Amino acid sequence: MTASEVQNSHGFEPRIVAFVCNYCTYAGADLAGTSRLKYAPNVRIVRLPCTGRVSPLFILKALQQSADGVLVSGCHPGDCHFTSGNLHARRRWTVFRRVLDFVGIPEERIWFSWVSAAEGGKFADLINDMTDSIRKLGPFSAYDAMLSEAGLVRSTVQELIV
Amino acid sequence: MSIGISIERAKSMLAAGEVSLIVGYAIGSTNDRRRPMLATNVDDAAKLVVDAACVDNLAMYTTRVGEAKRVGIFLRSSGVRAMNVLAAESQIDPTRFVIFAFDVDASGNVSAMEGSSLEEFRDRLTRDVVDAETSATIAKFQAMTSAERFAFWRQQFSKCIKCYACRQACPMCSCRRCIVEANQPQWICPSATTLGNTEWNIVRAFHLAGRCVECGNCSRACPVGIPLHLLNTMLAEVVEDEFETIVGRSSDQPAVMASFKNDDPQTFIK
Repeated sequence: MTASEVQNSHGFEPRIVAFVCNYCTYAGADLAGTSRLKYAPNVRIVRLPCTGRVSPLFILKALQQSADGVLVSGCHPGDCHFTSGNLHARRRWTVFRRVLDFVGIPEERIWFSWVSAAEGGKFADLINDMTDSIRKLGPFSAYDAMLSEAGLVRSTVQELIV
Repeated sequence: MSIGISIERAKSMLAAGEVSLIVGYAIGSTNDRRRPMLATNVDDAAKLVVDAACVDNLAMYTTRVGEAKRVGIFLRSSGVRAMNVLAAESQIDPTRFVIFAFDVDASGNVSAMEGSSLEEFRDRLTRDVVDAETSATIAKFQAMTSAERFAFWRQQFSKCIKCYACRQACPMCSCRRCIVEANQPQWICPSATTLGNTEWNIVRAFHLAGRCVECGNCSRACPVGIPLHLLNTMLAEVVEDEFETIVGRSSDQPAVMASFKNDDPQTFIK
C-alpha cells in the first residue's frame, strides 16, 4: 500500500519517531502517561541514555525508512544527567539541520525540544502540535524513488491507522 | 619573499639530511597541470615546481608520511589550516614538519609566506575568499524550495560511483576505519545506488563540519563532478555564523563539534 493510497482510504496519519533521553524527556513522557494526559498516538518513542547519544544517522535513517517527522528531545541546558551531553548535542543539531535543509530535507519535519521530567504537559502539547503540523505537511515521500531504485520500499505497515 | 628561495631551501635541507622527505608538486600529466610529488632524494627534488597551478592541498599527506623523521611540505594557507586541525585532533605531530607555505594572488603571482612551523602561523590565517560562482550557487539555493534542492542533490548524487576519491583526497578523512566501511551495524548502504550515495555524502559532509578548511580537494578529486565544495562552504559559513569560529587558526583550537558554549544558539529548540 503506498502512502497516497493510505491517504485516500483512511486519511493521512503521520508517523513520528522521537529520540528522547532517559532522564528527562522519557520521564516527562512517563509523567504525561501517569497523569492521564491524552496526546496523539502518532509518536514512536526511542529511549536513549542522553541526547548526546543521538547520532545524526538516527535522524537520517528514520526519515528514510518511514518517519514523516522526527523529534529529538532531552534535558534543558544545565539539567543533563551527564552534565553536558545535551550541550554537545545542541551544537550537532545546529549544524545537522542546516545540512539537511541544504540537501532539501525540510527543517519543518525535524523538531528539537527540551522537556524535563516534570513537564508531562509540555510533552503532550509538543506531540499534539507536532502531529498537527506534520499532518498538514503530508507524508514524507522524497526518498520513495531512491528506495525503489535500491530495491527497497518505505515501510508499508500502516500500524498507526486507528 | 620569492617562492624560488623556498624551493632552494627545501632542496638544500633534503640534500643536507635535515628533512628526509619533501612533499611538493611536479609537472603533471600535461604541461599545465601539477601533481603531488614525494621527493626523498635530490634528483626528485630537482623536479619541484610551485606555481599558480599547484591547487591540491598536500596536507592530506601529513597523516600518511610513514616513518620519515622530518618532512618538508609545500602548502597553501588552507593546507596550513588543515595541519592545525589535524594537530588539534592529535592526528599529526606538527614538530615533524617544516612548512613551506605559499600564497597565490588574484593575478596568479606566487609568493612564499613567512614562517616554517605551525606555531609561526598561529592566528594569522583565515578562510580563503569564496569564489563568486560558489557564493552565487549557495545564494541561489536559499531561494529554492526543499523539493528543488532535494531534486538537485538527488541528480548529483545519482552520478556518484562510491569510489571514495573525495575521502582519499581529503586531509580531514584520517579515520583508519571510516563509517562507510563499518558493517556492524551497516549504517551506510555500500552499493552505489542514489540512496546509499546520498547517505554517504550527507554523512561525510557532517563529519567535516567544523573541520573542513575548504581546500576543494574533494570536488577536484571527484571523477563525476559532484560539487561537494558547496556543502563544505555552506557548513563553514554555518560554523562561522553560529559558533563564531574559523577552523584551523591554531593547533590548540577546541574542536567545534566536540566543544560547546553555554550560550550557543538554540532558537530552533522548542
